[in-house]
Amino acid sequence: MLTAAIFLPLLGAIIILLMPAGRERLLRGVAAATAFIPLCISAIAWHRFHGDVVTGLSSGVATGFDQVESASWIPTLGARYVVGLDGISLPLVAMTALLFLAAIVYPIDYRGRPKAYFALFLFLESVSLGVFLALDLLLFYVFWDLSLVGMYFLIGVWGHGDEARRAALKFFLYTLVGSLAMLLAILVLYLHSAPEAGQRTFDMAQLIRIHPLDGSGLAATLTFIGFALGFAIKTPLVPFHTWLPPAHVDAPAPASTILAGVLLKMGTYGFVRILLSMMPATFQRFALPLGILAIVSIIYGALVALAQPNLKRRIAYTSVNHMGYAVLGIAAAGALATGEGAARILALTGATVEMVAHGLITGALFLITGSIWQRAETYEIADLGGLARRAPILTGLTAIAVFASLGLPGLAGFVAEFQIFVGTYAVFPWLAALGLFGIIITAALFLHLLQRVFLGQMPERWASWRELEPIELVALTALLVLVIMIGIAPAPLLSVIDAGVRPILGGR
Amino acid sequence: MPLFGAAVLFGVARLTARINEHDRSSVLGVLAVATLLLTLAVAVWATTNATRVAWSWWGPVLRPSVTVTDLARIMIVLVPVIAIPVVLYTASSMQGDAGLPRLLALLVAFCGAMELLVIAADLLTLLIGWELVGATSWALIGYEWRDATHPRAALDAFITTRVGDLGLYLAAAALFGATGSLDFVAMVDLHGTALTVVVAGILLAAAAKSAQLPFSPWLFSAMAGPTPASALLHSATMVAAGAYLLAHLSPFLSAATWFGPVTVTLGLATALAGGIVALLQPDLKRALAASTSAQYGLMLVAIGAGVPAAAAAHLVAHAAFKALLFLGAGVVFHAAGTLDLDRLRLGSALPRVARLFGVGTLALAAVPPLGGAFSKEQVLAAAGHGPGSGTLLVVGVLIAGFLSAMYAGRLQLLVFGNGDAPPTREPVQGPSHSPSRTEISSVAVLAVISIVLGLLWLPSGSRLLERTSGSTLAPGSWWFFIASIATIIIAAIADWTLWRRGALYAFGLRDVTRAQVADWLGIPALARVVIVRPVLQLADFLATFDKHVVDAGVRGAVRITTIISHVFAWWAERGLDWIISTIAHSTQWAAGASSGIDDHGIDAGVERIAQGVGALGEDSRQLQTGLTHQYYTILAVGIVVILVVVSLSRFMRGFAFGQ
Repeated sequence: MLTAAIFLPLLGAIIILLMPAGRERLLRGVAAATAFIPLCISAIAWHRFHGDVVTGLSSGVATGFDQVESASWIPTLGARYVVGLDGISLPLVAMTALLFLAAIVYPIDYRGRPKAYFALFLFLESVSLGVFLALDLLLFYVFWDLSLVGMYFLIGVWGHGDEARRAALKFFLYTLVGSLAMLLAILVLYLHSAPEAGQRTFDMAQLIRIHPLDGSGLAATLTFIGFALGFAIKTPLVPFHTWLPPAHVDAPAPASTILAGVLLKMGTYGFVRILLSMMPATFQRFALPLGILAIVSIIYGALVALAQPNLKRRIAYTSVNHMGYAVLGIAAAGALATGEGAARILALTGATVEMVAHGLITGALFLITGSIWQRAETYEIADLGGLARRAPILTGLTAIAVFASLGLPGLAGFVAEFQIFVGTYAVFPWLAALGLFGIIITAALFLHLLQRVFLGQMPERWASWRELEPIELVALTALLVLVIMIGIAPAPLLSVIDAGVRPILGGR
Repeated sequence: MPLFGAAVLFGVARLTARINEHDRSSVLGVLAVATLLLTLAVAVWATTNATRVAWSWWGPVLRPSVTVTDLARIMIVLVPVIAIPVVLYTASSMQGDAGLPRLLALLVAFCGAMELLVIAADLLTLLIGWELVGATSWALIGYEWRDATHPRAALDAFITTRVGDLGLYLAAAALFGATGSLDFVAMVDLHGTALTVVVAGILLAAAAKSAQLPFSPWLFSAMAGPTPASALLHSATMVAAGAYLLAHLSPFLSAATWFGPVTVTLGLATALAGGIVALLQPDLKRALAASTSAQYGLMLVAIGAGVPAAAAAHLVAHAAFKALLFLGAGVVFHAAGTLDLDRLRLGSALPRVARLFGVGTLALAAVPPLGGAFSKEQVLAAAGHGPGSGTLLVVGVLIAGFLSAMYAGRLQLLVFGNGDAPPTREPVQGPSHSPSRTEISSVAVLAVISIVLGLLWLPSGSRLLERTSGSTLAPGSWWFFIASIATIIIAAIADWTLWRRGALYAFGLRDVTRAQVADWLGIPALARVVIVRPVLQLADFLATFDKHVVDAGVRGAVRITTIISHVFAWWAERGLDWIISTIAHSTQWAAGASSGIDDHGIDAGVERIAQGVGALGEDSRQLQTGLTHQYYTILAVGIVVILVVVSLSRFMRGFAFGQ
């Protein structure tokens, strides 16, 4: 079933390519219908998910994963096609499926190539779901790299601004460097995966169980750095973030939504799934530096965002800030081998909620910037103003997203950030305290944004501003309703995540 | 109990749902009042049925929960009692205003958030209510959003109070770190650093919310909100939250030995500074706002001195008379179109309002037998006889009381006085709008409450207070009583003398001096210079740094890598060539934007990557000695993977650019 979630969008992409060109609405309908399937599948998977699953594979390989499906792939290498999920990946998969649906239906200017646009989006959905579901490192890597390709073309072809292609190339090359570092690390890990001349393996569940390369040796250190570099670029952590703002500014809004909502999560997901799970002892040695990088990202990202006059650039930098929170939680969770169990569980749970919450919230914010671009063809905050007069619904939805992003209780961001702070404090009190300043700065920059764009005087030129179209309204509402639900009643989400977090931290 | 929060929120939801159906303010007003009445009913019921309810929708680790104990009993009733007349006034005075539904919904939500804060039994629930109160206040202050200055003021207020909220985050984190729980009760186990952090965090949050020094100026920003919002914000919600929290938690907080002295110092300093600011303010609402800071300062003195019940009494009395005074100010503004104390002499124009306002100013001045006098007496008693008392403290409180009495009298005279001492500037001509019956009644209700609170003077009254709040008052003394009466009389004489000389408005001070002192002794200007501007400059600097230095580092790294590769292997030259050609092609692409990406450019680029990676593979293979065949295979697979990527991307190119 999970396999279907991965490959049906790909099938849909092929169907779209075979369809006659020119009928935008029909193409969009088919794309949306295809994208709806993974959402349904993830709902079913959520329903069938059992937190206490220990074995998921009939061949007797014990895993911490649920709903595992596998097939032979490259047997001589010990690389198999294995997919499955746990409490960490399930929420990410569901979030990914929803974000793709929202992004696909969101209207933009297709530049006369709707077929390619929708096909690429579905292709990207396939590989993104693949990254979160893959339980084989080689498979993971393939999906990971393919996601770069899909995003590269989305930005390069449908991007706006004079620099779109440059931005796309920068994004591609920069993250490719990261993924090459990761590939080398994967290979080293693979080479160590069979200490006693047995069959080497890329099987992630196996690697998580045996920790083939762990501790303080040179190989372990270099491997860790290789992975960490790849993930830090993707997340992105300061100072590896400079590919992000141009990519966001020039990308079409739905692609920004996916870039921020889904692709960035691959970095933090990698930190949890690979480094924290497969190399816990090495992670412990690097937890403090990682935490410091996270704090720098939080403060630096927020401050730089505050100074951005460009709407999209500002939101892009808040991603650096928010992903910093997630990494801070992960670092705190992995900082100790024993002790502070409850706090570390809280930190990692918070980090995972942050991934989901940031995906929904920032996804919605980028879609909103898309609506603004469609109407104004500008992202300059100074050019806009008073839009609430003409678009009260857009204003209301933006207000929800903005308050969620600045961490207001009752909305999803708070659930994440509160747990991260409380959990991290027990491990790194000073880092947690420093990180708190981030929430002041984000509050200032987001409220300033809200005030400058939607409140106050309205320039004469926006007098004929259009309110949201129904399709935009539906897409945004779907995301923001979830943001509110997670904020008020996070228990369903938290109990799933909890089931994923405990095995990771408990098995030490 | 579980109905409680739900009732409030449900009420809000219903209210919002109805917005479009009914634009008649009376219906909305009735609806809002009904919601609050329901809240009141549940609140009264809850005071006698205090069970603890956990919020099971939250996670497996953290369980927010609520309960009604001690001071919470008083507060949950107080909030709706004050809010009902305020909401009635709003519905009547802003009749026909297009934003009225939003305003009413926000006011009710404001109360709902405050109620959640009041009944919180742990720091998480508290923080949720606390920040929701802050966010609702943002929306209320920025209510008239069409004028850009209002949202800006709302931003100021929100950010200032959120600095305090950090204290709560920190307190929650430290409490959890030390005890594994967020429950208030867990605070008894605290000691050492954790205790210091928790107490400091809570004190910081409370000081910011209750507009103590140096956070006081945010209340001036909050003046941008409509008057009813101010009335509520200053009395039973928002500002009240800080003092309430300290009083509610003082049994735990006083475990830190420094808590008492610091709180007393902070409170007294704010009471005195606020008194001076209020005395010199040329604007009616701002004078009232400064007085709010000062009165909460007195409450902090009582808490710090170890008598939270006195603070609770003053909180209740203050809520009644301050809401009354703000609604009165609203009527004045409606009638005169200005709040400039130099231009108002409305005694003959609004006689009834003048009398009702008079009840408020008398209570503010602490004239017996009003409730405000009783509670101030209790604060004085706490300063003199409480666990943390001192002679100096008594003198300080007496001076603060003198200032209160003096600025209360000044306001009454300047706003409602008659021709004895004509204003220096042209007074407004007659009321342009006379208050409706509902407006007058709302103000009257609050006046009645202020008078009825005088019952606290009776022994049974104070016993009731002690029983409900679960703490004891400090014993009073006749000396204190006589001393405070004396200060009131002196203040009254001073007011009257200055009034007759026409110096009550400006005190003969230079305008510049007065303006500086009246704007919180220059704290806002200082904050701008010391905090806001440096932060913005730092942000600007970092943004430039980010653009030019960090990214240049990346570009430099690329260049260095290129050079290194040049040294290392023969194909580096071609690699460099490729980079140059790619750049050239990129420029070409940009030029040919309309016709799509140049096939050749990207194709060649991708091929070069493939070649480069292949060569890299060759290289690393050559570097290895004693290769096993597996190793070779893996490298090959790595290359295959990349080739797959590459060919797939070419395939992509085929349909993306082929047409």
